Amino acid sequence: MAMADIYQNNYMSMAPTERRFEPYAFNGGNILAVAGEDFAIVASDTRLSQGFMIHSRDHPKAVQLSSSTVLAQSGFEGDITTLKKHVKIRIDMYEHNHGKKASTSAIASMISKMLYYKRFFPYYVYNIVAGLDDVGKGCVFSYDPVGSYEREQYRAAGAANELLQPLLDNQIGHKNMEGDFLPLSKEKALQLCIDCFISAAERDITTGDCVFLHVIDKDGIATKEFPLRRD
Amino acid sequence: MFMTRSEYDRGVNTFSPEGRIFQVEYAIEAIKLGSTAMGIQTSEGVVLAVEKRITSPLIEPASIEKIFEIDRHVGCAMSGLIADSKTMIDKARVEAQNHWFTYDERMNVESITKSVSNLALQFGEEDSEPGAMSRPFGVALLFAGYDEKGPQLFHLDPSGTFVNCLAKAIGSASEGAQTSLEEQYHKSMTLKEATKCVLGILKQVMEEKLTATNVEVASVTKEENYHMFSKAEIEEYMKDL
Repeated sequence: MAMADIYQNNYMSMAPTERRFEPYAFNGGNILAVAGEDFAIVASDTRLSQGFMIHSRDHPKAVQLSSSTVLAQSGFEGDITTLKKHVKIRIDMYEHNHGKKASTSAIASMISKMLYYKRFFPYYVYNIVAGLDDVGKGCVFSYDPVGSYEREQYRAAGAANELLQPLLDNQIGHKNMEGDFLPLSKEKALQLCIDCFISAAERDITTGDCVFLHVIDKDGIATKEFPLRRD
Repeated sequence: MFMTRSEYDRGVNTFSPEGRIFQVEYAIEAIKLGSTAMGIQTSEGVVLAVEKRITSPLIEPASIEKIFEIDRHVGCAMSGLIADSKTMIDKARVEAQNHWFTYDERMNVESITKSVSNLALQFGEEDSEPGAMSRPFGVALLFAGYDEKGPQLFHLDPSGTFVNCLAKAIGSASEGAQTSLEEQYHKSMTLKEATKCVLGILKQVMEEKLTATNVEVASVTKEENYHMFSKAEIEEYMKDL
């Protein structure tokens, strides 16, 4: 194009072009963890998506970190992969340096610091750590993307957390209800986790395909799968 | 060993043909010039005791410190070139706090000892971390603490070697004191008995008369953590020596 044309066509009339750095994506899905007296359950769906595109129907969001600790992650898959790799390396180094297994609470605290060290370019990842604590009680630790963390009894995170958390508040937290409640049994917790995901898959397009469960107790970690709707 | 002195005893990074690094061995000799320090590990906790050499009545005894707190659950006693220990104590404190900050748990005594041992081994390195020196450290340390394995006592020497001990003596009278420890130590010792034992041995091996001002005593227990004995507490023990 001749110089004159550029001035004639674009100088006054062309709309400004926006260019920006977009380092993050969102890959959908949900994670959930529940702590009982002597067990913990981690549930996550296996769909990996971006917008209206499903990348995978078989991509678990939870990973076993030790014989009594599981980490569930949702958010941007690129950051998830990197953070997970670093966490695993740090746990291996801990075991080499101190000659002992890293406890769930030690792992939980370490992840909080790893997130905060990226305070000004954060990992776009929602993490939940679940497992057994030093005395064998079930524990759940939930985080925000910059490392604020808290020990809780139950927590849902991911695309449909607004759908799942109130259900857990009602069924496990017994919020705004009076009376005595039975302690949470493993069977009830397991069924509740599956029901949560069936409901989430009804309303959230990024949740579906399959729910993957880790059941952590004194005998170790058992895994279970339950199919969800695939549309 | 001094008979074998040769050109190989200068560099800290050169083995002699017999496979020795003389500067490290000389550093271990330097400990034997230091005041005596002792520690005993019992099932209730660990006790540390050191003699303070007050060479002149014009010295303020409280300004001579040879037992330090590393963290609330670990203490450290020393013998040798005390000034050399400052960077090691600093390293131990930083590592202990860093571990607590990162993992929300107290660092094991063995891990603390290991981190200081790493520093002790970095002599002569060109791009070593801050705190490392061009020669081996001239101190030996006794780390006493309480962690998930129970009461722990570790001995670290200038070569960077560390050993878990039930009872250990270092410094000028270490040979005699160690023999006495071997005679007097038994598995069912209480912390009180151990404290009496170390003070008794110090009394035997010290050149000056043992008083509450020329010794330092500290204990580490699960209940009280690190505790430096006051003058009154030491005097209480000295009554029935």
